[in-house]
Amino acid sequence: MTEIYLRLVDLILTPIIMLIAIMLFLRGHDLPGGGFIAGLVFAAAIELTILARGAEATRERYGPWLAPLIGLGLSLAVTAGLIGIYGGGFFRGMWLEFYVGGGKLKLGTPQLFDLGVMLVVIGMAITYLLRLSEAAEAATRTPTAREGGQS
Amino acid sequence: MPVLALSLVSLFVAAPVFWLLKPHRSTAFAWLAALLPAIITLWQVLQLPAIASGAVLTERFQWAPTLGLELALRLDGLAVFFGLVVTGIGAFIAFYTAYYFEHDERQGLFYLLLYAFMGSMLGLVWSDDLLTLFVFWEGTSITSYLLIAFKSDYKGAVDGARRALIVTTAGGLAMLAGMIVLGLHVGSFNISTILATPGIATAAVTPVALALIFLGAFTKSAQFPFQFWLPGAMAAPTPASAYLHSATMVKAGVFLLARLHPAFSELPMWFWTLFLVGGVTMVLGGVSSIRYTDMKALLAYATVAILGTLVMLLAFSEKYAYEAFVVIVAAHALYKAPLFLSAGIIDHAYGTRDLRKLAGLARRVPLVMVTMVLAAVSMAGAPPMLGFLAKELMLENFYQLYEHGEWLVGGASFVAAALAALFMAGAILTLLWEAFFRRQPDEEAAHLHHAPSFWFVAPALLLTVLGAVGALFTGWYENLLFAPAIAAISGEAAIVGFKLWHGWTPVFITSLVILALGVGVLLARGLFRRAFAGVPARVSSLAVYDALIDLIYRFAFRLTTLIQGSPMAPQLSVTLLAGVAVMAYALFFTNAETSVVLDSLEIPSVTEWVFFALAIFGALTTVHARSRLSAIIAIGVVGVTVTLFFVVFGAPDLALTQLLIEVLTVILLVLVFFRVRPDPQFGRDRRTPLRVFMALAMGFFGFAVVMINHLSQVGESISPYFIENSLPFGKGANVVNVILVDFRGYDTMGEITVLGVAALGGYALLRSPQLHALRQRINAVRSSRTPASEQKVVEAGHD
Repeated sequence: MTEIYLRLVDLILTPIIMLIAIMLFLRGHDLPGGGFIAGLVFAAAIELTILARGAEATRERYGPWLAPLIGLGLSLAVTAGLIGIYGGGFFRGMWLEFYVGGGKLKLGTPQLFDLGVMLVVIGMAITYLLRLSEAAEAATRTPTAREGGQS
Repeated sequence: MPVLALSLVSLFVAAPVFWLLKPHRSTAFAWLAALLPAIITLWQVLQLPAIASGAVLTERFQWAPTLGLELALRLDGLAVFFGLVVTGIGAFIAFYTAYYFEHDERQGLFYLLLYAFMGSMLGLVWSDDLLTLFVFWEGTSITSYLLIAFKSDYKGAVDGARRALIVTTAGGLAMLAGMIVLGLHVGSFNISTILATPGIATAAVTPVALALIFLGAFTKSAQFPFQFWLPGAMAAPTPASAYLHSATMVKAGVFLLARLHPAFSELPMWFWTLFLVGGVTMVLGGVSSIRYTDMKALLAYATVAILGTLVMLLAFSEKYAYEAFVVIVAAHALYKAPLFLSAGIIDHAYGTRDLRKLAGLARRVPLVMVTMVLAAVSMAGAPPMLGFLAKELMLENFYQLYEHGEWLVGGASFVAAALAALFMAGAILTLLWEAFFRRQPDEEAAHLHHAPSFWFVAPALLLTVLGAVGALFTGWYENLLFAPAIAAISGEAAIVGFKLWHGWTPVFITSLVILALGVGVLLARGLFRRAFAGVPARVSSLAVYDALIDLIYRFAFRLTTLIQGSPMAPQLSVTLLAGVAVMAYALFFTNAETSVVLDSLEIPSVTEWVFFALAIFGALTTVHARSRLSAIIAIGVVGVTVTLFFVVFGAPDLALTQLLIEVLTVILLVLVFFRVRPDPQFGRDRRTPLRVFMALAMGFFGFAVVMINHLSQVGESISPYFIENSLPFGKGANVVNVILVDFRGYDTMGEITVLGVAALGGYALLRSPQLHALRQRINAVRSSRTPASEQKVVEAGHD
């Protein structure tokens, strides 16, 4: 699974896809995109790495982040809701607006919540993709292991 | 400024910050760790004069205004009294932790949990709303579970933690039901409002609500027959044990009872339940404490006895009972915490806290000896400590009852309390004698690894000194601290005047006799230990609990084998048939008057016809595919066609999501089928009548339900509201996103929680060796349904 051309594609495309994911997230409140979609795109980028470099190498790179990512995402989402209590109720949207140069910049709890959604989606998707790829790689390496997952 | 809310928020924010600081790098962090609880303690101390003069601090925040939910905090005499215990002891524990976990990388994690626990506990005692209280109550259950299971590679810790969690949360759920019954009856969940409702004690729902709330309080405060989880919780690291069992977690139930006392204490049900349960717990805990040679287990049973005493005292509505209650809470926090902390220091220095391996420690660790002796004097109830005053007041209460006509209740409780006190004195004297003063241990002696530093011992020492000073100078603070708490428990203003020396009263003579007999228990300790060793293990609530849990595991295993033991296809058939049934029901039996409007139907455009053709082609290819891979790809085509529909109908967000899901699903399926044995029969056996019927039924009903949903008008559409208000309220031009993260934030919250849980489940289940083992176990059971093999499987499932 470590074809040279796939690794090249991974080298070039993965960072670009990740950037696209971040862009989709940032513009999500006003244009198509948002945390859920951005999370899926990000997961797709990491899946490319899995296909190019194998699950083991990918886990070495991202593994330690995965479980905390889901927890962090959920905590951020809850925090966004809790901040709303200050404004009059759980999940009440709270916004800060800045004027930078000519443009208006807005930061709000819904965006924080969206960030939480993105992190949970990334964590969930990659957890499954990595686990299944590991199992698949183990199955291709040792033929006897194939007996295991019969369904 | 909402100081109460800010204090709580600061604790919860400090928790992860401390973890990120990596405090194990230096013991100087001890001071920083103790700072925040110390500041909150100081602030509470400064509020005492105002509270003593009757002022009450209230803070209320809307949580979900439309549901009438609010977060309400209230600082009255009882709240500040327990709050001081929580943060005061908490500051000492936080300081001690830095030395206990010296150079340990997990120290930061421990601080995270400790602070989160402290915040939950403080929120609990400050709550003025039943549901707010419940949220913090469960917060303490969860954080204490994590604290007890902290040494997660040690099976005893995980088992003990799970037991504590199951027992306390089961009780917590019962309590929630009781709270809801009470709150709905009154029409408010505000505690002050409920307590002030006239006639609440005699309402028809009160017995049910109280019984359920009792369950919560008794499980949390380890009352008989739920006391068994508490000794198991001793597997926690010592700072956690000291904190949970001297000052906080187990006091939560007692606190709740004290909180409800003014409204319900006149009920016979209140008196008899608390009197009997508390009394039995007190005697059981006190007498069992002599049995154990593990210092922490000994102290744990003594804690059970104290909790029983507190519950029993709350049964009464007498002056002495209130006074005894508050003094015992204070005294217990001030002597039990140092005892636990010292046990931890000995464990740290000697590698064991088993009394059989210890002897003559007095010369090796003199400072620990001084601490423990001082604390033990208080625990044994000897003058001049706060523990002495506490015991005197308690016995005085029972003696007064005896004198004034209640001779049966007073006499019985006097004897029971004296018995429990006697055995606790005997147990703590045994601990002191065996650990510090005798020359030869029973078994091979443990050796001193490294002597504890002064600062390691300092928190425990300071706490015991506070206990001693506190007893000698009660006059300075008794009407600031104790009287407001008593006023909150009794519901009427109180003034107290404690005296250590009462003269040669019957109670004082009893105290002396208890001490003398305590020495007798020390001398006869071997006799008692042998007698207890003779009690079979079956005779305990722990055995009942284990049997119950075992039963649940067996049931779960049987159920799983029954409904999920078969291959994938039949399982899926059940799910799909259920779906068909639901849809058929929805279609035929509900909403008779819904009229279907066919006007809005349009003739599809050419592009749409092409998409239809593509989708049908994809579906047909899937059905006819000769290998799994082609089936997966063909079904992917169907998915992509759906994406195209979204694009045409102007839903870019949906299209993007659908496309990404489609791509990832195909990859996932390919990965999954790597694991499955190639099936040469693939595609041969699938046109059974049942499957054809299912496919047709799913297709037909799916179509019909979507169609009717779309065409029938029930009320007004909500879409215009979203579209109009997206920009002004949600500050976003992308309506879909605003709906997801703002208008329907609750839904999304639920969804991502499900995602997170699913990820955890997948993480655990997909570890191939375990999946393999599970599969084999189920197959084994299915092939040979003999009871013996099943037994084995169930046991394996326990681990």
